[in-house]
Amino acid sequence: MSFRRPAAIIFAAGLVVIAAGTGGLMLTRHSTLAMRPVAAGVGALPAPTGPIVAPPQSAAPRPVAAPVSLTIPLIGVTTKLIRLGLASDGSLQVPPTTSVAGWYTGSPRPGATGSAIIVGHIDSVSGPGVFFRLPELRKGDQVYIRRADGTLVKFLVTSVRQYLKDQFPTQAVYGPTPDAELRLITCGGAFDSATGHYLSNIVVYATEASR
Amino acid sequence: MRFTRITRTIRRITMLLAAAALLLGVPAAAAAHASSATTGTGWIRLAHLSPNTPAVDVYLYSFGNSNAEIVLHHVAYGTVSPYEAVTAGDYSVAMRAAGTSATSQPVLSTSVTIDADHAYTVAGMGPESGLRLQVMDDDLTTPSGKALVRVIQASLKQQTVKVTCDGKTIVPKASFASVSSYQAIPAGTWTMAAIGSGGTATQSVTLAAGTVHTLVVLDGSNGLEMISLEDAAGAGKPPLGGASTGFGGTAPHGPGSPLPWAALIGAGSLLALTGGLRLRRHGLSRQLHSGV
Repeated sequence: MSFRRPAAIIFAAGLVVIAAGTGGLMLTRHSTLAMRPVAAGVGALPAPTGPIVAPPQSAAPRPVAAPVSLTIPLIGVTTKLIRLGLASDGSLQVPPTTSVAGWYTGSPRPGATGSAIIVGHIDSVSGPGVFFRLPELRKGDQVYIRRADGTLVKFLVTSVRQYLKDQFPTQAVYGPTPDAELRLITCGGAFDSATGHYLSNIVVYATEASR
Repeated sequence: MRFTRITRTIRRITMLLAAAALLLGVPAAAAAHASSATTGTGWIRLAHLSPNTPAVDVYLYSFGNSNAEIVLHHVAYGTVSPYEAVTAGDYSVAMRAAGTSATSQPVLSTSVTIDADHAYTVAGMGPESGLRLQVMDDDLTTPSGKALVRVIQASLKQQTVKVTCDGKTIVPKASFASVSSYQAIPAGTWTMAAIGSGGTATQSVTLAAGTVHTLVVLDGSNGLEMISLEDAAGAGKPPLGGASTGFGGTAPHGPGSPLPWAALIGAGSLLALTGGLRLRRHGLSRQLHSGV
C-alpha cells in the first residue's frame, strides 16, 4: 500500500500533464485572432460625391492630377494619401504613421493607364492601422480616389490576394497594365515576432470602373 | 488477481498515451494556402490597319457563343481601339463590311486565345486584296528604367520605312504590313521619325520608364503619318519585393509552435509511464509474495 500510493499519484500527475499539453496543442491548432475584423459593411461610409472623371482613352497618355485621398466606403476607410518613394534598400517606402496610406510616386497616377500603387499599414504595435479591414474587400467593392484637381476616380475590386513576402509577384503587382488599375497593399498572414514583421502581404487588385 | 488486471489496464493506458503523445507531437503540415484558381482576365484591342480597305464592323465572340461580346462599328483605316478587359479564354474576331448585318458572312475571321494577364492586338492588315487578321501578343514587361517601343508599318504608299529615335535607327527596315519586335529605349522625350523613300513622318514622343508603346506608320492624306500609342504603363522603377506594413498589434496569437506542448505531453507520458511501471512492479511483487 505504502508503495502503491506514490506510484498512483505519479501516474495521475502524468495524466494531468498530458491533458494540459494536449489542451495547449489544440489551442495552437486553432489560433485565436486577437482582433477579429468586424463583419463586412459595418461602419460603412457613404460614397464620396463629385464628378467621376475618366478621360476617354486616346493615343496620348491620359493626363490626370495626382491623388490626394482615398475612400473605401464598405470598410470605413477614408485617408489622405501621402507621397511615397523607395527606401534605400529598393523596397517600397511605407507611411511613417499607421493611420494614413500613401501613393508610390514612381507608379502611374490613379486613373491613368497602368497600376497605381497605394500602401497602408494593417496595424501598429497596439492596434488597427488604416488598412486593417482591407482583407474584407471582395470583387466588385468600390474604391474612390480624390485627385488634386478635385476630380474623383472610381475603381472596382477585381481580386484580393495574399502572398508570402518572399514570393511576392512584383511583375503582377508593379508591372505594366493596359488599363487604369489600382493596387492596395498591406500586410497579412502570420506575424513573426522575432523579426517584427508579417510574413505575407495582402494585395487588393482593382480596375477603373467602366466609363 | 484483481491487482494484476488493474496493473495491465494501467500499462495499456500508459502505452496508448505514449503513442498518442508521439502522434500529437508531430506538427501538422502547415495549412496550405487557399489560392483561388480563378480564370483571370486578359486584354484585347481591335484595329483596322489596311490602307485601301473601307471601314468595317469588328466583332469579338467568346468561342462558341454567337452573341458578340464586343462590337465596334464603322472602324476606319488607322483606328486602334482601347483595350478591353475580357475573361481569359478562346475567342474569335470577325470583320464585316461596315453596316452589314451582324448575321451575315464575315469578310474575315480568326481565332485568338486570350491568356490571363496578357494583352493582344488583333488588326486587319495588308492590302484589301490580301487582307488578313493578325494577332499580336503585346508585351507587358519592361526592363527597369526603360520603355518598350515597337512599330507597325501600315503604309502601303511607302512600302518600306526606317524608324529612328533622335536620329538613331531603331527599326532599319519595316516593310508594309509588318510588326517589329520591341526595342528597349531609355526613358525621355524623343523625336521619332518614320522615313520612307517618298516621305517622312516625325513625332515627339515622351517615353516614361515602365511603359510600352506602339508606333503605327500610316498613309495620311498628306503623305506618311505616325501615331504613337501608349499600350501599357507600370512603375518605372518597380520596388523590390513587398511592403513592411504592419507592427503586429493585431496579429493573431499563433499559430504558435506546437513544440512546447508536445514536450509537455512527452513529460506527462514519462511521468505516467514511470507511475504505471511502478504500479505494475508493485503488483508483481505482491503477486510473488502471495505465491501466485
